[in-house]
Amino acid sequence: MSVDATMHVARPSRRDAYLDWIQMLTGVGLVLFMAFHTLLTSSIIFGAGALDGVAGFLETLHLDTLAHIFVPVLFFTHFVVAARKIPFRSDEQLAIWRDAKLLRHRDTWLWVVQAVSAMIILVLGAIHMWTNINDDAILAATSTARVQSGGWTFFYLLLVPLVQLHVFIGVYRIGVKWGFITDALRPKAVKILTIVFGCVTALALIALARYATMTV
Amino acid sequence: MGRMLTFEIFRYNPEEKGTEPRMQTYRLEETANMTLFIVLNRLREEQDPSLIFDFCCRAGICGSCGMVVNGRPRLACQTKTKDLPDHIVLLPLPVFKLVGDLSVDTGVWFREMYQKTESWVHTRKVFDPSREEERMDNAVAEQIYELERCVECGCCISACGTARMRDDFLGAAALNRVARFVIDPRDERTDKEYFEIIGNDYGIFGCMGLLACEDVCPKHLPLQNQLGFLRRKMGITAIRNLFGK
Repeated sequence: MSVDATMHVARPSRRDAYLDWIQMLTGVGLVLFMAFHTLLTSSIIFGAGALDGVAGFLETLHLDTLAHIFVPVLFFTHFVVAARKIPFRSDEQLAIWRDAKLLRHRDTWLWVVQAVSAMIILVLGAIHMWTNINDDAILAATSTARVQSGGWTFFYLLLVPLVQLHVFIGVYRIGVKWGFITDALRPKAVKILTIVFGCVTALALIALARYATMTV
Repeated sequence: MGRMLTFEIFRYNPEEKGTEPRMQTYRLEETANMTLFIVLNRLREEQDPSLIFDFCCRAGICGSCGMVVNGRPRLACQTKTKDLPDHIVLLPLPVFKLVGDLSVDTGVWFREMYQKTESWVHTRKVFDPSREEERMDNAVAEQIYELERCVECGCCISACGTARMRDDFLGAAALNRVARFVIDPRDERTDKEYFEIIGNDYGIFGCMGLLACEDVCPKHLPLQNQLGFLRRKMGITAIRNLFGK
């Protein structure tokens, strides 16, 4: 219920500003992690030895342990903070859906894709992290065995493109929201990000095909 | 002979008890340089005198004739039928209170917004009518004028996904208005004072960067750049405060 009178005077707060910073910084952290993650997992394109070599090098630096601690923290913090913008009430969901359908506006649809993909990534990403944290080491043999068992190929076939989509829309959104991408730069930024998104997703899917078919 | 255009127009008068919202179809032959402003006036004069819509200047200055044209908020007077298909759907602007058919009350919303954002120059200087006006740098004056071009049509608010979901969100028109005072050297408000108005999820941090405001603005105001400018400025103000500066 909306009323004109309040029982108390709201104190000025900087909470929303800090939450916005956290949303942006955790997003940037996850984008950087995903860039390294894609490079690591794509090394399997060059064979099992390449993946084992890169993974072994990262393990000697204990980067895998650091990632197992910090990535889940970033992942869940980003979700909790960004969720304050996601419509959970059905009337809000209906409002944004009607708005997107009526406007037929690219960036509004991209936001809908971002919000829906976020919910799917929350579940699938958490499962993926849990299984990886429980692995002793990153090895081509264990990774290919997992992808080739059960329904894991389909699991990653959904997760991989969705993550890349969410990452690239997120980068674009940070750019326009914080003014790094100005109105003059916007068409060029969209073009560049679309091309890079296509290349990175293709790379990730080729790597997935290798995991799904390779015998180690 | 011009195209035969079909107009599907939203009809509902909240003042008429017992009526329900509906779409009504009209047909009209297209003429040279026809705008939706001309269409609506002809429909009212020739076919249906009960049709309610707003207009005033017919030159994109007053901002009265904002409406949703085939899904996009636009000014009827600036929209030429030659740029539209044969089938044209007209709806009133969402978010604002419906007066009737295509007419909405943007005035109450903008008045409330002006009060919330304290949309006037805040200065402790006493105005002396006998003194010569203070000079302003021409580049700054032009920057202010660029943002002052807003005609308050409400198109940016109607297109905004956040405003559609949350009726307490200030929206691009309000944030653009604040940006205008931030760059005005006559306004003595500090960043902290601006932060108290827009440094929250109802203000700049509520903006999700959907940019429909930028893409539908009939005056092509640089809304995207202003939203980015305010977010950085208010974000930095919060961080400075964290370090006690």
